[in-house]
Amino acid sequence: MTAPLRSFLAEVVSAGTLLPEPERARWAVNGAIPSAVLMPSSEEEVGRILARASQEGWGVLPAGFGRWLAGGGGANVELVISTRRLRDVQEYEPADLTFTAGAGISLSSLAEATGANGQWLPLDPPGGEEGSLGAAVATGMGGPLGQWYGPPRDHVLGLTMVSGDGEVLRWGGRVVKNVAGFDVTRLCIGSWGALGVITSVSGRLFPLPEVDVTLILEGHQRFSLLPHARALALSSLPLAALELLDPLDWKEGGSRSPAGLVVRLLGSREEVEAMETRVPREAGDAGVFKRLEGEESRAFHGRLGRWEEGAGLVLRMVALPSLLGAVLRLVEDSQAQWKRFPAQEGLDVRVAAHVGAGVVRVAVWGISLEGDGLRGGWVEALSGLREVLEGMGGSLVLSSGPAPLVREVGTWGGRRVEKTLMQGLKRQFDPQGILAPGRFAG
Amino acid sequence: MDGNDLTEPLPLQLLRDLQAAVGTDWIFSDPDRMVVYETDAQTAHSQAPHAVVLPATTEEASEVVHALHGHGILMIPRGAGTGLSGGAVALRGGVVVGTSRMTGILEVDHENRRALVQCGVLNNDLNAAVAPYGLHYAPDPSSQSACTIGGNVAENSGGPHCLKYGVTSRYVTALRVVLPDGRVTWLGGQGREQGAFDLAGLFVGSEGCFGLATEVEVALLPLPEAARTLLVIFETIEDAGRAVTAIISRGLLPAALEIVDRNTIRAVEASIFAAGYPTDAGAALVVEFDGVEAGLERHAEEAARCCLDAGAREVRHAESDQERMALWKGRKKAFGAMGRLAPDLLVQDATVPRSRLPGVLARISEIARRYDLQVANVFHAGDGNLHPNLVYDRRDPEEGRRVEQASAEIMKVCVEAGGTITGEHGVGVDKRKYMHLVFSPAELEILRGVKQVFDPMGLCNPGKVLPDGQEAP
Repeated sequence: MTAPLRSFLAEVVSAGTLLPEPERARWAVNGAIPSAVLMPSSEEEVGRILARASQEGWGVLPAGFGRWLAGGGGANVELVISTRRLRDVQEYEPADLTFTAGAGISLSSLAEATGANGQWLPLDPPGGEEGSLGAAVATGMGGPLGQWYGPPRDHVLGLTMVSGDGEVLRWGGRVVKNVAGFDVTRLCIGSWGALGVITSVSGRLFPLPEVDVTLILEGHQRFSLLPHARALALSSLPLAALELLDPLDWKEGGSRSPAGLVVRLLGSREEVEAMETRVPREAGDAGVFKRLEGEESRAFHGRLGRWEEGAGLVLRMVALPSLLGAVLRLVEDSQAQWKRFPAQEGLDVRVAAHVGAGVVRVAVWGISLEGDGLRGGWVEALSGLREVLEGMGGSLVLSSGPAPLVREVGTWGGRRVEKTLMQGLKRQFDPQGILAPGRFAG
Repeated sequence: MDGNDLTEPLPLQLLRDLQAAVGTDWIFSDPDRMVVYETDAQTAHSQAPHAVVLPATTEEASEVVHALHGHGILMIPRGAGTGLSGGAVALRGGVVVGTSRMTGILEVDHENRRALVQCGVLNNDLNAAVAPYGLHYAPDPSSQSACTIGGNVAENSGGPHCLKYGVTSRYVTALRVVLPDGRVTWLGGQGREQGAFDLAGLFVGSEGCFGLATEVEVALLPLPEAARTLLVIFETIEDAGRAVTAIISRGLLPAALEIVDRNTIRAVEASIFAAGYPTDAGAALVVEFDGVEAGLERHAEEAARCCLDAGAREVRHAESDQERMALWKGRKKAFGAMGRLAPDLLVQDATVPRSRLPGVLARISEIARRYDLQVANVFHAGDGNLHPNLVYDRRDPEEGRRVEQASAEIMKVCVEAGGTITGEHGVGVDKRKYMHLVFSPAELEILRGVKQVFDPMGLCNPGKVLPDGQEAP
């Protein structure tokens, strides 16, 4: 730690803001422990920290609970700023179906606050409901509910951010329709902290559905379920979620089926009953679906939200939904290849696809890089997989993985993006280039 | 850059370059042919451009924009001219680049529920092209029979059904864009949820300030299988507002919730668009539910009960598609009919949190009374998006001043209630002076910086969206 940083921490940062020394190791960014982890209690405090960091040129990584630190490689991170103490529900007017809350609130706490009024934010990003609202917005990734409700960008009405040089900026608002000025809110969604520290978010709520039913069709393998999955994706039924899982875990550590097609139905009693009778037919005489309702259904999806917990490597592959079969075939070939690597006998690979969105997630447990040429083998395999996907017009994101792999393969890959515009925009928000080093245009 | 001197003709070399790009038929500057390009649907702002150019392809558009850039001539993108904030008017001279020849539907990919269209395709024509696949493009601005998808992208257009389905930016997945220097690039697209800033999301709603989107990829939805539409008549607009709150509080999610007030009903009923709304009513509320058939009936009944409890005088149900269209007619044609009330109309577009509607409506009536003006309200009650229309006669300058003052007060009331200055019509020219109500100087500075990233020379639709000290006070 440099002397200016040490004196800054001693003089400017309040005691409660600085994370105690022993806990800092958990916030390592791809293997490197930051000089300090700060948990400011107000957006003004975030502003003071960033203003100073900009002057000194300290690299800063915005974070919530520290779930997504690895994205982008994270070189030269001096400070991590966690929003976990910014967790108040600042405004909530049930009659408006809108809320404003600190970025550090967990999705489950928010659900508790809105659930008391029969409302919810239908957002289930990777990482589950113990993740923060700010992280869901900053990473921009949708989950199973995106099938009907859309990804985070469809739920956010406005946000407050602190720019790289410490300015508190408010974009959008808490009204559902708003076209005043350029849509900076949208620019910030999915920007992974590269434009600012998001400190609060305003969003749109929905009435909680009367009925929550999940229908599950078991299969002996993922490909046997694929035609049924695609048929449902093309039906006109407003399905809340449509997931293809391989394998399918019924309970935590409990029984398992080789594969399952999961259909979630939310709505009024009449609506859900009508859809229930139609799902098997529209899936193309798929056989008998098992049925979960109410708390059972919610619990199943809660577990699904934590689906990738503990995995050593998580991939997120996106392609046109009609290419789902081809992507699954690619995954199968890759699985066979990975298992041929030496010392990977314990490899456990699971696949979960958001059928309607064309997103295939792959989680790998038991990955090891210890061994002759093994690291090179993985790097080559993942880079090759990405190349094939990009050739199909898709993309591959390395959501999490061992630090050396993330560094060498890169989180996002080389899809052609507008570097000039991105760098120009980055400079408007972060003139000194201190935020989220290594991510996107940084 | 203050603009291009309107007394100076365009450089000859530029004219040759533009003719080479689009052919001599598709560039013109004779006043007769340019007259429709002088204003948009908000006729208060008027100015003929130096010339109008109509490219047919992205490549032609790129050549045109490149040539203009080379000569330092302003470029004003324009769709069908149905905008309501002066956004497509060449107030500082320059060349209007119109999209009326770019009407190709390039691809309908029903398997992936997406379509790729040229920017000049009409919203209705896109819907007609995808309907055979059981799909639709959800955003439905009232002008959808005339407005273009490119214009919808520029304005981030809404419409009555955005209450359930959301606005344009939800449905735009990729854009092919001619940047202000003529360079062509794709924004967004496959897998755009990761790995880059959401540039397509930023471009939507940029009101022609970042360049010209020539090709638009949109997401499509399955057509709702069924719908139930109610027309509810109220004695007062306050009762209608209370009914809306009651419907939402019951946990119902209508596809649309629209209110027209007494002045609007009278204008509609006196016009060729007469829809059979009772002229002695205080307000009419259109409620629509859509989705799978099952459950719609109960939702409609519950909504009807909310309305009756709030004091509704009469609830009409649409039994057929034809009747449904008839119920909607009075709402959809409201703007057209208002022409009867007075020669000029100042269309406002502020949005407030839904729960503040009754209070804000009362304040608006009070303001109109104080300035001795007639106000006709038509609005998307479900989203809190108000359209209080002030009717006046421009030839009476004193009345014009009162309209301006009342308008400014209404804006302040809406912003103070936690709302914003425009919900769907855009800032354009005439709301620039209100931008400081919703943005701090630091935020405005960032917006200017963002504009400069796309348009460093300030040639693309200048004098729009951002206040620059030249807007009317």
